[in-house]
Amino acid sequence: MRALGLGFRFGKISGALRQIYMTNFKFNFLEKILLITVLWLLVISVQAREVTHETNPESGVQTWELHDQGVGFTLMQITPDQARGFFLARGFDRAAVDYYATYCVFMTIVRNEAVAESINYKLSDWEFYSGRKPAGKLKLAEDWLSEWKQRKVAESSLIAFQWALHPSTQTFETGDWNQGMTTYALPLGSTFNLKFKWNVKGVTHESMLENIQCASETAGR
Amino acid sequence: MKACSKIFNVPVRQLAASSVLAGFILAAGPLLAAEAVPAQTLFEMKAHPQAEDFQLLDMDGKKRSVSALRGKVVLVNFWATWCPPCRREMPSIERLSQHLKGKDFEILAVDVAENLDTVFSFTGTLEPMPNFPIVFDSDSSVLKAWPVMGLPTTFILDKQGRVIYRAVGGREFDDPAIVEKIQALIAEK
Repeated sequence: MRALGLGFRFGKISGALRQIYMTNFKFNFLEKILLITVLWLLVISVQAREVTHETNPESGVQTWELHDQGVGFTLMQITPDQARGFFLARGFDRAAVDYYATYCVFMTIVRNEAVAESINYKLSDWEFYSGRKPAGKLKLAEDWLSEWKQRKVAESSLIAFQWALHPSTQTFETGDWNQGMTTYALPLGSTFNLKFKWNVKGVTHESMLENIQCASETAGR
Repeated sequence: MKACSKIFNVPVRQLAASSVLAGFILAAGPLLAAEAVPAQTLFEMKAHPQAEDFQLLDMDGKKRSVSALRGKVVLVNFWATWCPPCRREMPSIERLSQHLKGKDFEILAVDVAENLDTVFSFTGTLEPMPNFPIVFDSDSSVLKAWPVMGLPTTFILDKQGRVIYRAVGGREFDDPAIVEKIQALIAEK
C-alpha cells in the first residue's frame, strides 16, 4: 500500500536534488542535469495519480483506492448485511436498518498522505456520475440524523450513527486521516463514478474514481 | 584516451554509470513507496488554546478531570469500540503509557456513548491491556465541546493544560517520533 510517508520522502528527495546540484562530486554538469531530471521524474511518479481495485477473495468485498496529488481516497463496499448488523448492534430497530441497507454504502477513508499544507473537504461537494452525466450527491450524516429523529431513534444510537458516518466536513494536516461510512441513493449492485473534491490553500482540486460498484443485496453471503 | 559521447563530450563510462544509478532509483522508488511505514505525525496547533475541562467517571466510578492533571503532560484520546482505527491504536497507547511510566505524563481515553460492559469486554481482548483511565462521555457532550471532527482524535496537552498537538485518525503512539515530542513537553518546566 502507498504510504503516508510520501511527504517526508519528497523532502528527502528535494534535499538530495539540492546536494547534487551543489556538490562537486564526480558528476559533470550534464550528468547532474540528468540525475536531477530522473529524480524529478521519480518525485512526479510518487505524486502521480494511482488507482487500484481489489476484491477480497474470501468475502468478495471490493475496494477502490485513489492516490492523487498527495491525497488518498479509499472506498470499501459495506454489504447490506454488514450495515444491518452494525446498526442493529448500536440499538437501531429492524425497520430502520433495513431502510439504511437499501442505500449504497462504502467505508470511506481519506488521508492527507503528502500535502504539506492543510487540506479540507466537504462531502457536499462530492458528486457521483452515471458515465459523464452528474447523477447526484451523497446523503450526509445530517440528512440521516433528521430522518432518525423523526423515527424517534434513541440518543445513544444517534451518537454512534453520527460518528460512524464520514464527517461531512474535515480538515487534515499531513498524516491525518479519517474513516467513516458514505451513503449514496443508488440501487444496490449499480455502478457509478465519483468525483472527489478537496481544497489546499483555497485552491480546489478534483479527481474522478470510475466504475465503482455498490455491493449487491447478497454480497458477502 | 577516455571514450566520450560524441554529442556531449561526456565520458561514456560515467554516463553509463549515471544511467544505471538512475534506472535503479526509478525501479526502487515504487518498491520503497509500497513498503514505507505510515508517518506518525502530530500537528502542532497554531494557537495553544486552554483545554476545555471535563469531569467524567472512569471504569471504577472515580471522577477524572483534565484540570486535576495540571502539572503533567496529558494525552486525551477520543474513541469508541466500534471505530476500527480506535481499536487498532489502543495497544500503542498502553505501550506509550508503560514507556513513560514514572514521568509527568497521564492518559485519559474518552469513550463516546458506550457503557462499561461494552468497553470492558473490548479492553479485555487487548494485549497489552490498557491500564490507563478510560472515562465515559455518555451523552457526547465533551466530544462536542472539544474540536473533534472524527474518531479517533487525540490531543496532547502541556503541563499548563494547553492543547499543543492534535492527531486526527489512528496512530502508533509509541512511535519514536511521537514519543520524542511528548518527552520534550515533559522536559519543559
